[in-house]
Amino acid sequence: MNVKNNWWKFLAVIIMLYVLLAGMLIPMKSGIYGVDSISLIASKNTVIEVEGYNANYDKAKEFRAWIKFDSSHIALAKAVSVKNYNKAVLTFDLNVNLPGTGDVLPATLIIDNEIDGYAIFPEGLVVTRNASAADIPFKHATLDDLHVSEGIKFPYMNILHETIRNTFFHVAIWMAMFLLMTVALIYSVLYLWKPRLSYDHHAYSFTAISLVYGIIGLATGAVWARFSWGAYWTNDVRLNMAAVAVLIYFAYFILRGSLEDGDKRSRFSAAFNIFAYLAMIPLLLVIPRLNDSLHPGVGGNPAFSGEDLDNTLRMVFYPAIISLILFGVWIAQLRFRVFQLEEKHIDKINSGSPLVE
Amino acid sequence: MMNKKLIVFTLFVFLYFNSLAQGGDDFIRSTGKIYAVVGVILVLFFGIVFYLVRLDNKIKNLENNQDE
Repeated sequence: MNVKNNWWKFLAVIIMLYVLLAGMLIPMKSGIYGVDSISLIASKNTVIEVEGYNANYDKAKEFRAWIKFDSSHIALAKAVSVKNYNKAVLTFDLNVNLPGTGDVLPATLIIDNEIDGYAIFPEGLVVTRNASAADIPFKHATLDDLHVSEGIKFPYMNILHETIRNTFFHVAIWMAMFLLMTVALIYSVLYLWKPRLSYDHHAYSFTAISLVYGIIGLATGAVWARFSWGAYWTNDVRLNMAAVAVLIYFAYFILRGSLEDGDKRSRFSAAFNIFAYLAMIPLLLVIPRLNDSLHPGVGGNPAFSGEDLDNTLRMVFYPAIISLILFGVWIAQLRFRVFQLEEKHIDKINSGSPLVE
Repeated sequence: MMNKKLIVFTLFVFLYFNSLAQGGDDFIRSTGKIYAVVGVILVLFFGIVFYLVRLDNKIKNLENNQDE
């Protein structure tokens, strides 16, 4: 293989290698995996056992914990006893006048130590108020000197845990699919503008690989869903709309298969490709955002929009997209070269056969 | 032929994952669901290999027809 002309193929392989190594080897930040009971009853010694992820509780010297009811009502744990590297028992004095009016209050657990940094269990607790303690004033604490763990680490998120690494595979392949379909769209428009057979063949090749990417996107999502939601498929708007978008692209190949070779087939499929692309935009980008969903990134579920897409994730996420796009272009070119060979073959038969004369 | 084999293989992979996913504290959900990520990477890999095998067959047919 000529390196000068094929440098981008080497680039694709090298970037994918980097994505696999960095994506799988960079550790996660420490987080709160769970607590023994999310419902607490306020008393003088409210006890909660916390289980950490990637934690070094036994090695930490300054272990602190807070329960936060709202921005001005934060209670500091009065005692912390570490059981082992990832388990600690926290004791809070909640026999005080808790904020708000309801009998039960949502609360957030925050822990901090100098090795793991701070970790949050957002809105994870439900505290039942002790009505007889209404006249005892709340002991205010402040969240100060929170530690941040050192080194490059991926953020820890509830539900997602280690599967935040799927950003580099599942999410990246959808992004790559989108770009490859855009390339196919451009070739389809070019064909309608100037009917050259190579435009049609390029459009077909790019649509084929992006459909493969789309199916992989659905299948990888299904594998993840099996272990996060308990089912391969749910009646989630985002999932169903993605499936519809992929099925529309399936129809592109059925349409081509049902027509005979020639300008008519090329024109029909170019027009259908434009329609499919225009249908895909609302199906993948608009409708899922108008509806609630369990999918990460929709309806307050953790994902990668805005502040969630942390810089360490970007460091691997963008190269992953670039690599998958390069692989897609590579495979589309292989498909295109098959078309060229077929064309040559047909020319040869037409010119060489004595039956033609 | 190749397609049927691949479909059966994919079914087996899914059934295997399914058998690993029984119960709450199973193998795949251990260590923060890292094996779900491994499963996703395998699906991605075999998806692309599936298309490459089909392309390979297409080229093989073309090569065989060239001599005729």
